Amino acid sequence: MAASKQQKRPIIDMDIHERATYNDLLPYLDNPWKRYITDSNWVQEKHLPYPIPGAAGLDRADAKVPDGRPAGNDLSFMQQQLLDDVGHEAGILTGAGDPSPSSMNGWYEMAVALATAYNDWVIENWLEKDDRLYGSVHVAAQNPESAVREIERVGSHPKMVQVLLPIDNRPWGDPYYHPIFEAAERYNLVIGMHHQEPPNYFGNFPRYFVEWHSVMPNTHMIQISSMIFNGVFEKYPNLKLAMIEAGFTYIPAFIRKMDQQYKELRHEVPWVKRMPSDIVKDHVRVTTQPVDELTRDEFLKFIDLMGSDEIVCFSTDYPHWDYDSPFRALPPLGEELEKKIFAENARKLYPKLPERKATQ
Amino acid sequence: MKEVVCKKEDLSPGNIMSANVGPIPIVLCRTPDGEFYAYTNKCIHQGAPMSEGVLCGASAPTDTPGEYRYEKEGEILRCPWHGMEFDIKNEGRMLVDSNRKLGNFNVSFDGNDVVVSTKK
Repeated sequence: MAASKQQKRPIIDMDIHERATYNDLLPYLDNPWKRYITDSNWVQEKHLPYPIPGAAGLDRADAKVPDGRPAGNDLSFMQQQLLDDVGHEAGILTGAGDPSPSSMNGWYEMAVALATAYNDWVIENWLEKDDRLYGSVHVAAQNPESAVREIERVGSHPKMVQVLLPIDNRPWGDPYYHPIFEAAERYNLVIGMHHQEPPNYFGNFPRYFVEWHSVMPNTHMIQISSMIFNGVFEKYPNLKLAMIEAGFTYIPAFIRKMDQQYKELRHEVPWVKRMPSDIVKDHVRVTTQPVDELTRDEFLKFIDLMGSDEIVCFSTDYPHWDYDSPFRALPPLGEELEKKIFAENARKLYPKLPERKATQ
Repeated sequence: MKEVVCKKEDLSPGNIMSANVGPIPIVLCRTPDGEFYAYTNKCIHQGAPMSEGVLCGASAPTDTPGEYRYEKEGEILRCPWHGMEFDIKNEGRMLVDSNRKLGNFNVSFDGNDVVVSTKK
């Protein structure tokens, strides 16, 4: 199957969820953290109130590991079903299963321990076992000092390409979190943001999952505006932001709205020196997934309205239920644009990804 | 194109299986009443293998928010990826948009053999 389906162009997939279970992390945890989990069956707060978003829950029904383990928990099955089948050049792991340590609302020390264990686990079991896979540093961002220490500990690993922050009820542009951005910039790491299972709906859950999934762009807009208007990109001019898993069609309207508000309310944020749309073009990248069904003409209109064809980057979100197929999710867009969206925009974004091969 | 894809007893009511008609992958569905239906084994949205999905029912449209009436048990094929719902007793039409449907095949029987053929 793989040979007939191989993606013809290079593909860099910006959102692949490998799954770390607590059992996976136990060998990487010290006590008392390990004992809290083994003795008390401690689990991170997680209260998704919706029954079954997809046909088999939150994962693709066909992505469950054949031996019964949950989707995303086995490297060889991921290689077979995704990396080899599609023909990925590179994929960026975004971690999954449970909420990000940065989403914990208390007991930050446990969050620090979990982030550290996760980073060690993903390096040893995924990044160092497949050349194509790159990773995200997880931190306990509630405590920026510990987050900086973790970035300093693993951020120079050649395959760690970003620091991943969850999108929930913390607006990350707040100066309180700026030490994290300083460290990310220092280590050549992108800041990635991805929604997590705790609420992303003004700190609460909407009544239905379909509402949550429909308003994901809102939560991404909250974070982008927080980062821009708190002056993060003026302060850290080399910092890049990857907004993962809200699609891209909201960007044209949003950059116009921010520009208009900036013209009228600049006095409130005098540290912002450029039009927000220009800051987005220079610093912010968004993923295609979950993509809206668009014709070629519609897709190109959105790109045109962004004023740049370098903002949108491809992602699958494997193995989740709303996976986007590299073969079918996007309409034909022409060779040049497809090269950019499927690989080159991501390659420019992440300085630690391999350079484009001469033959590509 | 016509092909014997299985024996009747190979697929019990309420289940689905993958098969081929010539080079074409299909999903064979058997509803709880014992009827057989065959569709292209590829979701019309992004090409997911429908035979990896689930045969289930669906909540009936209602005018009353909060009211759930589960119907058509075993007659709805849900995509394994994005969960789109197709009514297999109604030509494989998508519940939210009846203009879109799975490619469908004729099913007939030769004794105990289940025969699937492309539509003329």
